[in-house]
Amino acid sequence: MPNVAPAPAETRTHTACAHCGDACPDEPIRLAQEPALSFCCQGCRAVYELLAARNLCTYYRLDERPGQKVKPVELPGRFDYLDLESMQSQLLEFRSPTLARLTFSIPQMHCASCIWLLENLFKLNAGITASRVNFLRKELTVSYQPDVTSLKEVVTLLASIGYEPQITLAELGAQPHHANRTLYYQLGVAAFAFGNVMLLALPEYFSFTAQLQAAFGQFFGWLSLLLALPVLLVSARGFYRSAWQGLRQRYINLDFPISLGLTALFVTSVFEITTHRGPGYFDSFTGLVFFMLMGKWVQQRSYDALRFDRDFTSYFPVAATRLTPSGEEAVPVRELRAGQRIRVRHQEIIPADVVLLRGQGLIDYSFVSGESEPVAKVPGDTLYAGGRQVGEAVELEVVREVSQGYLTQLWNNPAFQKADTATLETYANKVGRYFVALTLLLALGAAAYWYPSSPAMALRACTSVLVIACPCALSLATPFALGAALRVLGRHKLYLKNSAVVETLGRADTLVFDKTGTLTDVKRSAVEYEGPALSLAQQQAVAAVVRQSTHPLSQRLAAELPAVSLDVNDFIEVPGAGVRGTVSGVGARVGSASFVGQAAPSAEADVRQSRVYISFGGGLSGCFTFRNVYREGLREVLTELSKTYRLTVLSGDNETERARLRELFGPQAELHFHQTPQQKLDYVAQLRQQGRRVVMVGDGLNDAGALQQADAGLALTDTLTNFSPACDGILEAGSFGRLPTVLGFAQDCLHIVLATFVLSFCYNGIGLGLAVQGRFTPIISAILMPISSLSVMVFATLLVKLAAWRRGL
Amino acid sequence: MSIIFLLIGISLCVALAFLGAFLWAVRSGQYEDDYTPSVRMLFEDEAVPDEK
Repeated sequence: MPNVAPAPAETRTHTACAHCGDACPDEPIRLAQEPALSFCCQGCRAVYELLAARNLCTYYRLDERPGQKVKPVELPGRFDYLDLESMQSQLLEFRSPTLARLTFSIPQMHCASCIWLLENLFKLNAGITASRVNFLRKELTVSYQPDVTSLKEVVTLLASIGYEPQITLAELGAQPHHANRTLYYQLGVAAFAFGNVMLLALPEYFSFTAQLQAAFGQFFGWLSLLLALPVLLVSARGFYRSAWQGLRQRYINLDFPISLGLTALFVTSVFEITTHRGPGYFDSFTGLVFFMLMGKWVQQRSYDALRFDRDFTSYFPVAATRLTPSGEEAVPVRELRAGQRIRVRHQEIIPADVVLLRGQGLIDYSFVSGESEPVAKVPGDTLYAGGRQVGEAVELEVVREVSQGYLTQLWNNPAFQKADTATLETYANKVGRYFVALTLLLALGAAAYWYPSSPAMALRACTSVLVIACPCALSLATPFALGAALRVLGRHKLYLKNSAVVETLGRADTLVFDKTGTLTDVKRSAVEYEGPALSLAQQQAVAAVVRQSTHPLSQRLAAELPAVSLDVNDFIEVPGAGVRGTVSGVGARVGSASFVGQAAPSAEADVRQSRVYISFGGGLSGCFTFRNVYREGLREVLTELSKTYRLTVLSGDNETERARLRELFGPQAELHFHQTPQQKLDYVAQLRQQGRRVVMVGDGLNDAGALQQADAGLALTDTLTNFSPACDGILEAGSFGRLPTVLGFAQDCLHIVLATFVLSFCYNGIGLGLAVQGRFTPIISAILMPISSLSVMVFATLLVKLAAWRRGL
Repeated sequence: MSIIFLLIGISLCVALAFLGAFLWAVRSGQYEDDYTPSVRMLFEDEAVPDEK
């Protein structure tokens, strides 16, 4: 038997599970043959047994307690849809009678042990021939023999060891991986051509080689042209395409002058060489393309490392449960047709536009509209794709398939795009647009000035202006500085959607906090019950009722109580008061004292706790007490933040904690209680109308609307998989203490971008001054262009690193 | 001085060979993942005792 890191034998204190490291219950689950090991649940023990039986316990030696807690929910037939022919043909990358291959996305992968186990899958299932991990992308490529095993078995195996793959519609499309190979090809070609053209251009730089130039100029020129041709056709294609797309949408982007400059440079060079006038500027041309591609590559790498699935299709379930006369059947969403009946269970997303047939619909549209308050629906109502059912299972009839669904239209509608694309233009784009106009004017002016005296001079001045003023340094500064900032922040567990968010954070002046789950740590809050003991049936009734509500306390209570799915009738939620419903004929009320019909709580009640009272059929039973625990380091964070920012708390709770929050937040802060999600959203919108730059910090679940409404919404989560599409960034709860540092760092980054702009303007100013006068020679162009781009890149990256170091990040 | 034609020809050939090698490396997927191989190479030693 392999020697496994022994769990502490002491059972008095909570021992850590040998598989996942979570705290074990008082009576840990043990293994007959290895009593030294304790497990927190049957699932973890089952995984351990499975691995031990195949000699795979190296898994536990590579990393400390690497396991994933295995969720006990096992719906029979959950993976049945994977047996469907149409599903397989979409998922599989390669297929023959003896071999099939596909790539899964496995977000749970987090350490060396995971890599090891996932690459040893063949020991668990003989049908699997090979499995390879791409850790950075969190992807697993599996090859298996279809005649020995099946796709469903592979997925079930992965799920059973805690690595359930994420199978979403996004995965069903074409595999996007080969797109970034193109960049490598382009980069390789550009680097090759740049290096060689520089060599050939060498004679031009030194006057003493004039003889060499005279003897070989023609040959060098033609050879450079030959080398530059693939750069134009292959490497520079992306810039031309982007400029063209911009033009078609009547928008001049930064790629437009780049393309214009590149074209001018190329055409002039070809003209000079074919007419024997000179050696051309192919060294500048290839160098420019190479350095700009480098910028693109760095940007793409930083995006790759924090790859969020921004594609909305990722939030849709792949399969739906179709109801047929013979029973339930799992089908891919794409096979749903109008008129068919489907069933959607608790927490499942509605896959198409449907009509509610049976059951109480309580639809959470936060993925679609950012509105997080669930909407109650009755049979006969129309429900739209993208909503999520919270509560009992419902039966639906499909009206429109997903491809034509309301959501797809909504998402493609530019008006719905988050405001930051419309109002928060990056500096580069704003400045760049004026810059483009100025450059074009200067180029035309120079040409008009020189043309009467010397047409050749006019061409030279015009193209030099376009080339030297090509704002590549400008376009490089932002991605390099902000890309470096993204990486620094990612290392400290703040994951941002894109680099524009860094800018938004840097310009913020108001911070809005949600209370429960953000300032307080709901997971750490202790739940206690006072009053006569509840029977199992009563507990289940309370659980069934609170599960219908999205209030954090309800959610916390639901997690505490046994999980069952009972039908709830007459469910009503009174905001700020409580919830009630009828379960198995008994009316249950959960909420504030007055809501359940009890006298106000005694005055000595601790202000640091929230109470939730319950009653059954009129008779009072007892109350649950939630002791609020504020996050560690909250006071320091707030003291630091209140120096620079206007702080606001939006709490859905009552005012019991006003005094304590006032003390924590200081006299200037605004504290608002009894806020509904809609009021939070309105409040943020109102702040923005006053011209404030608002950063909302919430838990991302019940304040999605406000997160979406704010200039930048940060979701504070304990698990990174808990991703809400409404937010712009995810801050891991453990890094909450670094919030002031992070915001200060974002401000630094803005200053750095401005500084690099100044630098690149200096370069461009000097270059333009020389170019307009026609004093511009190929030598200056060849030296100034690559050096200015390179120095801007280095300057930006170094300054960001310096700022991060000074902030202690 | 016509040796320069030959020298440049040779240097271009060498450079082309390197370009070819780079393109081959990209094509064979070596640039897709530059982290996992560094972890994977440590596994072989660990896994052997288990195979006894």
